[in-house]
Formats: sequence, C-alpha cells, structure tokens
Amino acid sequence: MATRDDSPDGMKFNRRNFLKSTGVVGLAETVAAPGDAAAQSEPAAVGPGDVPVRLNVNGRPIDLMIEPRVTLLDALRTRANLTGNKRGCDRGTCGACTMLVDGRTVYSCSTLAIEVQGKQIRTVDGLANGDQLHPVQQAFCDRDALMCGFCTPGFIMASVGLLEKHPNATPEQIRKGLDGNICRCGTFPRIFEAVSSVKGGQRG
Amino acid sequence: MAETIDPLNWPATPSVLGTRVKRMDGPEKVTGRAKYTFDISRPRMLYGRIVRSPYPHARVVSVDLTAASRMPGVKTTLVWRDPANTQNNLVMFQGDEVAAVAADTEEHAIDAARAIKVEYQVLPHVTLVDRALAGTAPAVFTGGNVRAAQPQSTGDLTKGFGAAAHTIEETYETQVITHTCMETHGTVCEWEGERLTAWISTQGINGARENFASALGIPQANVRVICQYMGGGFGSKALSVGAEGLICARLAKAANAPVKLMLDRKEEHLATGNRPSATARIKAGVSAEGIITAFDGDTWGTGGAGATAGFPLPYIYQIANRRRAHKDVFTNTAQQRPMRAPGHPQGSFNTEIMMDELADKVKMDPVEFRIKNLPPEAPNAMWRSYLREGAAEFGWDKRHPTGDKTPGPIKTGMGVSIHTWGGGGRGPAPAHCEIASDGGVVMRAGTQDIGTGTRTLVAVITADALGLQPTQVRPEIGDTLYGVSPASGGSTTAASISPGIRVAAVKALDALKEKVAPSLGVEPAALVASGGRIHVKDDPSKGMSWADACKRIGPQSITSDGDWRPGMSSTTTSGVQFAEVKVDIETGIVKVTRVLVVQDCGLVVSRLTAESQCYGGVIGSLNFALFEDRILDRNSGQMVNPNMEWYLLAGMSDIPRIDVRLKNQPERGVIGLGEPPTVSTAAAITLAVRNAIGVSVRSLPLTPARILGALRQGIA
Repeated sequence: MATRDDSPDGMKFNRRNFLKSTGVVGLAETVAAPGDAAAQSEPAAVGPGDVPVRLNVNGRPIDLMIEPRVTLLDALRTRANLTGNKRGCDRGTCGACTMLVDGRTVYSCSTLAIEVQGKQIRTVDGLANGDQLHPVQQAFCDRDALMCGFCTPGFIMASVGLLEKHPNATPEQIRKGLDGNICRCGTFPRIFEAVSSVKGGQRG
Repeated sequence: MAETIDPLNWPATPSVLGTRVKRMDGPEKVTGRAKYTFDISRPRMLYGRIVRSPYPHARVVSVDLTAASRMPGVKTTLVWRDPANTQNNLVMFQGDEVAAVAADTEEHAIDAARAIKVEYQVLPHVTLVDRALAGTAPAVFTGGNVRAAQPQSTGDLTKGFGAAAHTIEETYETQVITHTCMETHGTVCEWEGERLTAWISTQGINGARENFASALGIPQANVRVICQYMGGGFGSKALSVGAEGLICARLAKAANAPVKLMLDRKEEHLATGNRPSATARIKAGVSAEGIITAFDGDTWGTGGAGATAGFPLPYIYQIANRRRAHKDVFTNTAQQRPMRAPGHPQGSFNTEIMMDELADKVKMDPVEFRIKNLPPEAPNAMWRSYLREGAAEFGWDKRHPTGDKTPGPIKTGMGVSIHTWGGGGRGPAPAHCEIASDGGVVMRAGTQDIGTGTRTLVAVITADALGLQPTQVRPEIGDTLYGVSPASGGSTTAASISPGIRVAAVKALDALKEKVAPSLGVEPAALVASGGRIHVKDDPSKGMSWADACKRIGPQSITSDGDWRPGMSSTTTSGVQFAEVKVDIETGIVKVTRVLVVQDCGLVVSRLTAESQCYGGVIGSLNFALFEDRILDRNSGQMVNPNMEWYLLAGMSDIPRIDVRLKNQPERGVIGLGEPPTVSTAAAITLAVRNAIGVSVRSLPLTPARILGALRQGIA
C-alpha cells in the first residue's frame, strides 16, 4: 500500500488475510496446487479476471467484482461512483487521490483495492455530514484555499489526516504534512492559512 | 460640471463589487460533488485509449488492429494515422497519435491499446536546438528546420553604442515547460443519431463546439458542449479540442456508445502543448548616466514541430536604438500551445537579467535604473509608482550590492522585476438574467470557469446591481446552451463577460421597478435596490423586501439580456514584483523566502479570488524559475521525465511568504488578471539569486547544478 509516511506497513496483501477478510472459502484450492509448499508460503495469486472484493468506505460496505490489479482509486471512482477524489499523476506523487485508510493518508492511485479489505476507508465524498461541512472543508471555503479545485479533495483528506494525528499541528508539521500534495493553480498560501485556522477542538 | 451618469455603467458606490466574497462553488469542490469531465459517467459508457508514437519522427508503415479487436471488452478500434495516406502517415513527435481503441473498462482499453501492432519506419529527427541552428541536424521540415523572421530595427545602433560608456554581451535562456494541468485533457462523447453531446475539459466551450462540428461534418447546432468544472488549463485547453477530442467523438460514433477518453500523465506532458524555449544573445550599451543607449538582440526558440516561438524583447523598457532578429527553430516535439502569458515570462527573464547587469556597470540601484529607462507613467504604465511603493514596503533599502559578503554558506539577496499584460474584453459575450416571482435570480452566460472563479464574478456583479448578496444569485455557465462567449484565454474572460452581466442585471432591475412602483406610488426611476430591498432612493423606509417585490412579477419571469460594450472594460495592466532568496552556495539550493506583488487589474470585481490569482501566478513562476524542465534524451529525442516525480513542481515547503497589494483602478473598468502576476516572478527570483551569490545565472531552471556551475565560472 502506498502510505505517505515512512512508518512500517503491516498491510501487505497475503493469502491468509485475504481469505480471512473476504470469507471466501475454497479459493485456496484454485490458487495453490496441492503439495506445492512454496505456493502455500508465498502470497497467493488471484485472478486473472474479476474477483470479489469487499471494501468498507465511509462507513458502508461496498461489494465489487474487480480485477486484482484495480487500484483503490479506480475501484471507487469507476465502480462505486465515488468520484470525489481525483487522479492527477497516477504514480503516487501529486496527492489528488489521497484517502484515509485506518486513519492514515494513502495515495489511492497506488494502492490496490484488494489490499485494503477490512480497513476503514475514508474519501472526500463522505467527509461532510449532509450539508454540514467538515471544519477543514469549511476552512478551505472561507480562505479561498482552492481554485480549479481538482487537487482540493486530496488536500482536504491530507489535512484531515494530519490534524487527526496532530490536532495542534505546528506550521512546520502542516508544511511537511501537506508536502505530498501538489496544486498547479498555486493555492498553497491559502491552504496553509485554512489548515492553520482549524483549531484543535474543531478538528474532529 | 455634472456628467451624465450612465446607469448601465459601473456604479460609483458599489455594494459587493471589490469585496472579499467566498467562492460560489467552494462547497461543491471541497465535498467532491463538483463534476469534472473526469467524473462524468454515462450509461453504457466505454473507455477510450490512444496509441501514440514512441519515436519523435517516423513513417507509419502499418497498423494491425486484429489482435486488439479480439481482446476482452473491446468494442471498437480506429486508425488515426492511415499508413496508406502518404500525405498524413508521418508522426512528427513522440506522442503523436496513431490509433485508438474503446473498451468496457479502462484496464481493458489499456490492454487492448498495447495489443495494437504498429510498424514504424524510423526517420532522422531533430530535437536539439543547437544542431538545428548550426545546420548539422537532419533536414526534417519542409522549408528548413529554421524559419527566420524579418529583423526589426529602430533608431541608429552605431550611434547608440557610440554613446555607451559600458557594453555587455551575454546570452540568456529559458527552458521548455509543460502546462501540467491537474486534470488531464479529456472528453466524454455521447451521440444520439447525428447529435453530439461532449463533456470536455476546455477553456472554450463555444470554440470546442465549432471544432467538433467542422471536423466531424455536422451542423454546429447538433453539438452541445458542457464543461461545468475543469481542472486547470493554463492555455493548453484554449484553442481546440485536439486530436484526443476528435478521437473520442469518433470512437463513440463507431461504438454507438458513450466514450470517456482521459489522457494519462505521460500523454499530457508529451502531446498537449508547452511553453516554447527562448534564447536571446544580447549586446547592450549603457551611458554613464544610466540610460540604455543600444540593444542588439539575436533570438531563437523552439515551439516544436512547425510552431512559432515568439516573445517580446526588449521587454517594456524604452531603448531608442535597437535591433532584434528572431528565428523559430522547428524540432520533433509536440507543438507549443499558449501558456499563461504567452511570450511574456520569456521576454521578461531575458530582459530583466540584462537590466541588473547593466545597472551594476553604472553602479546604480536596480529600482532607480529601471525607473530611468521606463516609458512615461500612465494608467496602463504604472511601474514607477509601484516600484517606489513596493521598494518601501519590501525593505529594499536593506538590499546589499551584488554579492552577499556575509560569512558562511547561506547567502541572501533581493531582486525586482516588472511586467505588463493586455487582458482586454471583447464581444459578443451576452448574458441573460431571469428574476422569478419566488425571488430567485439566475444569471446565465455561455462562458466557463477555468478555476479563476467565474461563477463568483457572475454572482458578485449581479448581486451588486440588484442589492442582493452573491449567494442569492444562481450563476449558470459552462454549457453551450447558454449562448456564445469568448474562450477563456489571455485574461479576457472577466473583461469580456462582466459588462454584459452588469447590463442584463440593471435592465432586469428596471423591469422589476416597473412592477413595484405603482404600489409605492412613485415613478420607477425613483427606486433603488439595496440591502435586499427595493425602496425609494432617499427614503429606505418607503419600500419592500426583495421577496415581496418579486411576488409582483407573476408567472412569467422577468428576463433581460446584456452584452459587452466599450467603456466598461479596458486593457493593459502594470505590475512589479520583489523577491528575496536564500542560497546555499555549498549545495546550490535556492529557497525563496519572500515575494511582494504590486498589481493592478482595473476595477477589482472580486477581491478574494483576484488575490488568489496573484498567489497562483507567483507560484507558477516560481516553478518556472526553480523546478520545471521538459528534459529530452539527447539521442532518442524522447522525454525522460513525463511524470510528476521528475517533472518537478513546488510543494508546500517550497512556498515563500507572498504579500499581494492589489491596486484598484475603478475608472478603467474590468481588466483580466490571470496572466500578469505569473510573468515576472522568475526574473525577480533569479536576480535575487544574483544579488545573493554575486554572479549571474542566465538560464532556467535554477537547479543546484546550475547555481554551482555559475559560482565556479564566476570565481574562475
């Protein structure tokens, strides 16, 4: 999974947690020949072709039949109509695709959907409570922290992830925390102001 | 003497105009509800994919679609560059379109595109400008690889150099950069018989409509183009729908199903335009008094395969005796497209670095030296005033002479630069206003928002005229059903559409006054709209709320139309920028610490979004100065960084403190602001680096290698 920080990643997809998280039984027979010790100790191959994937997105389960190569971003955008998060570079650089997985910011363009089963996935689509904007979203509107808006969902999610981890983030923490996102229109000063303006108590 | 006040013109005492109004579509964008072309989904929609030439120059010998057609999910394929068509079977740059496919999923489309077999006859290419100029490159282009423009001369160069106390002779150069829009170029096309609906990420919905119709051989009336939201264009989406747009339309027609075709990041770098390079070999002379007496420039640049690469030079400053000879160099790279202030950043850089070198020759302060060589001050030429005002605010008096003598590796410096841009308005740019009996106000225009905040501008002007808050106005844009309007390029949108919106709103209000006046027992002309009420001009108590007034409208809404007219917009802005940097002379790393912007744009309509344009312009130019570079492999001619990890752009930690001083010139009417603030930051930064390290860096970007190289040369 394309995590955006350097903490250890314990979420590598493997056969055991795949089976556990999907509850698909009998699959082992099809992906590992009996007696093939090597195959049983390595992560199993799945596919080609569509496989069932269950994702927990914004608090709701989503069941998909997708190829194992489909990224989290594409799975949600093209199969679940969750188009809030964007694809800018498709290589884990620009950050427009940033989502939260178990509270950590990830580049969803470089994370396979199949890898994040059983995890709590949050996208920009689920951040507001009806018409009630999340404090970070409200701050972006108040400070004009967006222009064309295409990078905005990624910046919002990166900011939410940062503030949940560091409710009283220092200016330096805000800068570093948002260094994984690029805005081509150049709204950075406004984004910095917006994130800085969200006070600790509001940062839920 | 009392002047006749034209009620249609801009108000003397605006209520909302020029205030800080929150962007109208902010909530849509921060929640992800805003639908960009990339987000459009249609029933039965397919995904398109283009096969592009990996070679900068080749003949397409054959295209075999057989295997691709049999791939899973494939619905249709097409050949874009027909090998049998000897007039059109050459690819002229890496990324040139060859064939395409549409399939049920994006993954299947990518697989199928890989299965299209294209046979190329690779031809000699030219991608190195120096070789093209020297005549040692293969002759690729009909009529030669180099096209020289007619030299331009004014005054007497010999006399000018004769009057010079000092001369310099240097070469300055800016690089090719790409637009790198966050939303790549892309289209969704859906046919219904011979009628086409196209959602396209475009700066010009009406131009796109004309493009589709003429290229596809259908009436313009059959084409509807929609662009509600778009993820940046910067000029690259202004002029045409491109091959990618037409390919999408043809795939959709052939498949009899809607097709979405979004370019990937590599295609975006390779094929959707760029800012041409610009090189200037300049000999210039300056008198002992600090007047530039002569300027002799040979310039060239490449805008790709058969495209021009012009830029203004010398930039702004008045030089009596000058000559300039320019050459466009053709290379096997994608054609340039306009990029935010086309030509000006290049002209600014190539002039301003020279300015400080001349100033040092006569030991003058760069601000004073600039003032000495500027054209006379005028409303559209305010640099003198802005330089003095900016210098005072920036603390220019603390600037040390060239070369920071402070011990240690970190050197600081300051630089200054000036710029101009037209940004005028033009018609037709009609606007249509409707006021309904429920009090709802719609202002409709066939324009588009490229991210500058057009919806907000529409709402601000309308609300101001009707005495309402902007949130009480519904702006409707981004659809050719809403009428014609110019493309959003060259900072012309605000100046083009604002007058029509004002006129339509004032006329609608006049109609509403007619409905209200009888019940108040006054003449309609005695009424005004302010604070959400319609009331007698000097007696606010004698009136009624907006809602009550509108109840008198009846079932048929009030409608009115306006259009652009002269006198309410103007052209040509002035701006100056100051920059401060820190340079580590051991690593060559440049850090910009402060930028000050002094900028006008005529009547300030929407202050918050206008300031955002200035921030964005500065940061775009900082990218040009420090990071961006389209790097081509010397041998293969292929781009080595067609992505976003090696095509560098600033992140949050690279952003300096930016202060914006927006000057209001209400008497001039509306002038565009998209381009001006991005013109000259790069020059100011480069001059600040020069001031810090004591040597000039005459080419961009200011990479650590280039800084260290300049330092080594400077010491030698």
